Parts: sequence; C-alpha cells; structure tokens
Amino acid sequence: MDAALLKQKAREIRATCLQMSYDGQEGHLSSALTAVDVLVALYYGWLRVFPDQPRHPQRDRFILSKGHGCTALYAVLADRGFFPRGLLREYNRERSALPNHPCIHALPLLEFSAGSLGHGLGIAAGMLYGLRLKGSASRAAVVLGDGECNEGSVWEAAMFAAAHRLDRLLAVVDYNGIQAVGRSDDIMGHTSLEEKFRAFGWAAATVDGSDPGALLAAMERAPFEPGRPSAIVARTRMGVSFMEGDVLWHYRKPSREELQRALAELGARPIYEKA
Amino acid sequence: MRRAFVDALMQMAERDPRVVFLTGDLGYGVFDAYIARFGPRYVNVGVAEAQLVSAAAGLALEGFRPLAYSIASFMTGRPLEQIRFCVGYPRLPVILVGAGGGYCYSTSGVSHHAPDDVALMSLVPGMTVVVPGDPNEMRGLLPQLLKVDGPSYVRIGKFGEPAYESADPIVLGRARRLRDGEGLAVLSAGEMAPAVLDAADRLAAENVRPLVYQFHTIKPVDAEALDALARQVRTLVVVEEASPLGGLYAAVLAWRNEKGRDVDVIRLGPPDAFALGNLRRETLRQEYRFGPEAVADVCREAARRGGLRQR
Repeated sequence: MDAALLKQKAREIRATCLQMSYDGQEGHLSSALTAVDVLVALYYGWLRVFPDQPRHPQRDRFILSKGHGCTALYAVLADRGFFPRGLLREYNRERSALPNHPCIHALPLLEFSAGSLGHGLGIAAGMLYGLRLKGSASRAAVVLGDGECNEGSVWEAAMFAAAHRLDRLLAVVDYNGIQAVGRSDDIMGHTSLEEKFRAFGWAAATVDGSDPGALLAAMERAPFEPGRPSAIVARTRMGVSFMEGDVLWHYRKPSREELQRALAELGARPIYEKA
Repeated sequence: MRRAFVDALMQMAERDPRVVFLTGDLGYGVFDAYIARFGPRYVNVGVAEAQLVSAAAGLALEGFRPLAYSIASFMTGRPLEQIRFCVGYPRLPVILVGAGGGYCYSTSGVSHHAPDDVALMSLVPGMTVVVPGDPNEMRGLLPQLLKVDGPSYVRIGKFGEPAYESADPIVLGRARRLRDGEGLAVLSAGEMAPAVLDAADRLAAENVRPLVYQFHTIKPVDAEALDALARQVRTLVVVEEASPLGGLYAAVLAWRNEKGRDVDVIRLGPPDAFALGNLRRETLRQEYRFGPEAVADVCREAARRGGLRQR
C-alpha cells in the first residue's frame, strides 16, 4: 500500500475510533487516535498476519501494550478482516468481544490482554525467546505509550531483549507527549526515549509518527542493527485539529457535534454502519 | 529438597522439550548440570523479577512449560502484578518456584521472610499452590504440576530436609496420612511435617496418638480428606509456617463453615506480624509456638480436656 493510501486508511480508522468512542461512551480517545498511524503502518505493511488464520504459526506477533488505545486496534483488525466490521458496534458493551481494554478471553485472536501498563514488551520478549527456541523466524512488534515508559518493567524487558539479542523485536513508542494527568515531558522530566533505548542496548530512531508511510519505511529498516532489538520513537498526533495536544481527550467522549466536526475535518466515514 | 528439585527438573526437561527454566539470578552452582545439558532452556533474567515472570508468560504463550525460580519473597510479592496479570489472567501453565518459603531464610531479615507466599499465590484465581514437605514429595509433585493446565506455585525448602514414609501415594491435591491415631488429627502444611512427626514421637510414650496428615497441596485443599477426618475426630490442629490469612488454616476454616462440620480447629503458626530480631528458624518456631513442643502441648491439652473421645 502506497503512502497516500496509508494516509487515507488512517483517516478512516480515526473516523472509526471517534464513532466507537461516541457509540461506546468511553474515553481514551486521544490514546487511540495517536496510535492510528503506527497501527496502520504495522497492519497494512510491516506485520505478516493471516486474518483468516489468526493463530497461523508463521504470523508475526503483535501486542498493543497501551491497551487503553484499543479502539484503533479493533478498527484495524476489523478492517483487515480478522472479524466482521459490524462487531465494532459492540465496543464496550457488556459481555462484548471488544471491551475497553483488550482481553484474550473476550477476543482470543489477540496475542495478549492489556490494560495494565508495562507488560507488553516483557511478554513479547519472552515470546521471541520461545520462537527462537522453536526455530521460528516470526517477528514481534509492541506498541507502547510514552507515559507507559514510566514503568520500570518496560526497562527490565528492554534489558532482557538486548541481552538475548532479540533483533526480531520492534518496539514502537507512541510518543504523543500526553499521559493521564499532563504532558509526559513535564511529569517525569526529559523523556529522552531514543537515548534511553540506546543506553539499554537497542538500536533506536525517532520518526514522524503522523506519517504512516514514514513509519513503515522506518519499520522496514528493522533490525536497525543486527543483533539488537529496534525501537522507534514515533512523534504522533491525534490528527484532529481541535483535539490536538489536549490532555482532556484522554477522558472526554465526543459530543454529537464534536463527532460530526471531527469526521468532517477528516473527510472520512467510520468503517462500520450504525445498527 | 533443592537437590530433589533439581533432579526432578532434569528429568522433566529430559522428557519434555517444552520445559524451560528461568531464574532471577539465583541458584549459584545448583543448576550447573541442567545448564550443561539444556543450554538455552536455562535463562538467567538477572535481578529482574517482573521480567522473570513476563518472560515465562511469553514462553508459555508460545507453547513452552516454563518454571520461574527465585527466593520465595521475591518470587511472589515482588512480581505479584505480573503473576496476576500476565500469568493468572490468561491462565498460563507457568510453574512459579519460591525457594525458601516461610522463615527458611530467617536470619536474612524481613526482606527474605515469606510467610505470605502461600496466601499471595492462593489469591490468584486458578493458581495451584503446593508446599512439599520432604524431598520425595518434591520429586513426586513437580512433574504433576507440568500436567496442570494453568499456573502453579511451589514452595521449596533448603538442602537436607529429612524424608518420611507414608502408605499414601504422592498425588497433587490429595492429603497423605503419615501416622495413624485416634481422637484428634494434626494437619501439617507442607514443610511442617517433620516437626509434627517429631511431636507425634514424643507423644507416643504418653499414649496420646494423634492422626498426622500431610497437606502438601494448599490450593485446592483436599476437602475429601477433611470430610473423612471430620467423621473420625473432633479436633483438627493445623500447623503452618505461613500467614494466618490465606493458608491451610484459612482453607480448613472455610471448608468447615461451608460444610457445617462440627469440629474444633486449632491453629499453630506465626502471627500476622513481621518477624523482627534476627531469630533462627527454630527460635522463631519456639517464640511463635508452632514447633514440635507446641504441637505436643496442644495435643496433650486436647487429650486432657477429653477432646480425644471418638465420634
């Protein structure tokens, strides 16, 4: 898929996230919107996946470690044909396959549940260690939040991955600059994530995270250095001008007017029809 | 018991290529033979208990049967979040191994005390919790944990624990009768068995003969064995080197209340407190009154009160 098509796809996925947040009456909209370009680059480009055989042994593994941004993941999975698009209407309903933090019991095609931060990277590193024992060439990608990188377990996992030379591991940090109660760079000081990953033995790059084409180009260079896991610090954006950079959208659900305004700005429709 | 653990581990790894052993930088020299034989199926994650559990979970997701090993207090309390979220929630077949549970490392301080390991692990839904009492139970139970379709925790002691005999086989979830007797029963939680047998030996000369049952599996507790005991005796004495919350005593009380059984349950074990003072394990057991003398005293007292009359 070329860069223009990836951008169009990202607009549709954003429109879908907005609609799901409105329909499901659940926040974390900013966390989903900033992850959209990364997920589009992964699921329409880098990841080797088999939508009709989601547990295919040769698939690449993917974990959305910042699980609160899951509408973006659900939308991409539906669009790629992992499940019917109509299922997106069930987001955040009781007993839904699509709860507001991904759950492998609700949606078994996922590699792992999320909701508690700081786990995805360590799990993926363990999976890759196992894949190597099995002689598998599958890779693994993990999307983390920048706020999530406050968790010490992220850095235990980073050490492990580098020590075991897991160069089939790709970590993408959704560096949207926002965490639950403020700006990431203010709360824990200078985030310097690229330098941190390097210091932990990774190869790392900072990329314009609002451009899925640029993201995919960076991903396709992974492993950036043989024998080292790769980290991409993606400087991401929500992609809706009146929401951009506002911490409030970690919590707020869009009103009908805000939804319409955002969809009009995107020039895209959600990928599912209202019931 | 650690020798028995390594023996069992070697056999399991030999038979089952899915077995991977992970350590949080502990067990110096203990696993040399395993490392030499199984190479990459030994992983030292460093002093990083969160990653110890997460890596084990990742391996289990890929079809392996990982064992994660650390000192009991660092194996349970420290990565509890990883245990509940990464292992318990997805019901992964990870065997968590806590070396030196209870007050095994008594003089290393509160940091190394793990009277709470059994309770913490019992809180995780679906977790099987095992405390072998001697090397034979260690050898017998560990391979059975490989067949459990979910997470498990096993507390292991040090080196050189005495072995004991029983006609009952070593079966996960089933209590074992170590001594026949009458009137009252002493229920040993895991590694308290030798102390309880010591007490029973002392009492034999006084014609007080409690039944002795060994509960190596704390969760799920053997309710059938408890039901059978309730038909035989009026008093159950639980001896545990574990928190009064969430261990064998708590399980026996829950069983009694749920089933409405008419038995007295007496507990011997440490209180809900941090054990200060750098006391040796034997001293701690004396201070907290759950060593062999205390067990013998309680049985004598029950006999004197007439608690030994048969049903």
